[in-house]
Amino acid sequence: MSERIFGGVLLLVSLAGIWIGWDLQAPMSYEPVGPRAFPLLVLFLLGLCAIALMLEKKSETVWAPPPVLKRIGLLFLIVLAYALLFDKLGFVIATALMTVPVARFFGGSWRQGIVGGLGLGVGMFFFFDRLLDVALPTGLWLNGILG
Amino acid sequence: MLMQGFAVAGTPENLMIALIGCFIGTVVGLLPGLGPINGVAILLPIAFAMKLPPESALILLCAVYAGCEYGGRISAILINVPGDAGAVMTTLDGYPLAKKGLAGPALSMSALASFTGALLATIGIVAFAPLLAEWAIAFGPAEYFALMVLALSCLGGLVGDSLPKAMTACLIGLLLSTVGIDANSGVYRYTFDMLHLQDGIPFIVIVIGLFAVSELMLMLQNEHTASEPITITGRILFNMKELMLAKWTMLRSAFSGFFIGVLPGAGATIASAMCYAMERRMAGKDHQFGNGDIRGVAAPEAANNASANGSLVPMLTLGVPGSGTTAVMIGALTLYNITPGPTLFQDQPVIVWGLIASLFIANVMLLVLNIPLIRVFVKFLSIPNWLLVPGVAAISLVGVYAVHGTTFDLILGTLIGGVGYLLRVMNFPIAPFILGFVLGDMMEQNLRRALSISDGDVGVLFASPISIGLWVAAVAMLVGPRLMRMIEQRKAAAA
Repeated sequence: MSERIFGGVLLLVSLAGIWIGWDLQAPMSYEPVGPRAFPLLVLFLLGLCAIALMLEKKSETVWAPPPVLKRIGLLFLIVLAYALLFDKLGFVIATALMTVPVARFFGGSWRQGIVGGLGLGVGMFFFFDRLLDVALPTGLWLNGILG
Repeated sequence: MLMQGFAVAGTPENLMIALIGCFIGTVVGLLPGLGPINGVAILLPIAFAMKLPPESALILLCAVYAGCEYGGRISAILINVPGDAGAVMTTLDGYPLAKKGLAGPALSMSALASFTGALLATIGIVAFAPLLAEWAIAFGPAEYFALMVLALSCLGGLVGDSLPKAMTACLIGLLLSTVGIDANSGVYRYTFDMLHLQDGIPFIVIVIGLFAVSELMLMLQNEHTASEPITITGRILFNMKELMLAKWTMLRSAFSGFFIGVLPGAGATIASAMCYAMERRMAGKDHQFGNGDIRGVAAPEAANNASANGSLVPMLTLGVPGSGTTAVMIGALTLYNITPGPTLFQDQPVIVWGLIASLFIANVMLLVLNIPLIRVFVKFLSIPNWLLVPGVAAISLVGVYAVHGTTFDLILGTLIGGVGYLLRVMNFPIAPFILGFVLGDMMEQNLRRALSISDGDVGVLFASPISIGLWVAAVAMLVGPRLMRMIEQRKAAAA
């Protein structure tokens, strides 16, 4: 069943892509194949694959049981929030905040999460930013204090 | 030429980088869940952000790649969980050996087998790669286009359980590669008026999303109760008798592993499975395969290391990677504005020969690291997931952030990771996806160039004998493996 739904979504995506891509014309053309041919070809084949996916008889996707699935969804949201706050809060705080709930998911205690999070944040900041010269964000709040 | 390479790889700085790479690679390889592709994907942006010169960055990535193939066996032998996909077969005899108290000999023998496989394959690269590159230099855009179709269909035909799924993965990759300004006409394609998409989706964002972010979610799904690693007691080194028993096994598996690796698509997993099965059959009646035969760890380890190195051949000579990991390395080259392809040997001898020389050096380092220092690596097996997973998440985002420093890239990478998780749970193979994304631009450019030369006549794609041969091979590779499997199943059902 999952494959059918996915195939359906994919078919819609490829149709939409073809519809958008139809207008991709170069204002001045000096080569026989313009910018739209390749994406349209790919989208056409993708549409065919989407139909093939819907017609395939075997559906064998085994999803994780609902409680696990819920935790996986939450993990995704945490990483997404981490990505959003990475620049704004700065690496150290964002990493510490992300580590606490993720550590809880993987069987760590609150204490381990907090200590581990601060350790990861501070340790990696010094390792990358100071030692390896990979610039990491310090965060808006720190910029404010430091002027 | 090789001497020139050793001069590059032998500078103190590059030796240090290779050593660090070997160490990180072994650790990444032994951690269950993280394999060569995650390791290379996570380290690539960091190497780039550290402004390493291209040859040093490639030496680092290759050392990590080589190290992973060594590391995978450690967890396979000690906790019965393969550290990476290539080590699945090693669990079959490695774990029983460890339970008999022979963990030491199993580990040292498999290290030697890994070394034999990698060494033979590196010699193979030196012998074959320049020849292949010279032959491929005559390729025109039409042949090139056909060659890339062949590479994609090889991978698509071999991996995964369903052809539409493999093709879908590869087409999504191709499609995403078209996002951004079209270089030939200046037309904006699928950017949806977003400034950050003008230059296309950054390669690193895709790689980290697909291989690191989605991996975190899979780790939560597959969380197994970590079993205590078996402690190494007794002798560390194998004895003469065991060496004599396994020496031909190692050499045979190394040879076959190399040739399997050179073929695009068939990677370390297939090589180790085939060589294990072959050795088991050849062993006759008097064997203990499955219950702890020393040859049972030697065969897959020699094969997977040989094939991992062998898969560098198409990447270096044709610019067409045959596996997910080498696709990431091609992406690394393009980050440094180096065009992969048969001219690489002429244009960038420093990089190519430096890389090959560094493989020799890295493997010697790995052998030295892996026999006396084995106990150090075993310690890494006890890193708890509650620390490992946030660590991987943080390093992944550091890598993405290092490239452009935008929140947009971080969010895009996470979203791609979410889609990647869905695709992976639904059994869509991910290697064709990344290969499609890496090859997409080159494919389109070669297609357009070929059709420009012929003034729009599609027949040019099938005009030369080489391209016809490549097209035939592409169709055969796409359909062949599945057809054979179906026939076998029919036979099995009828019998």
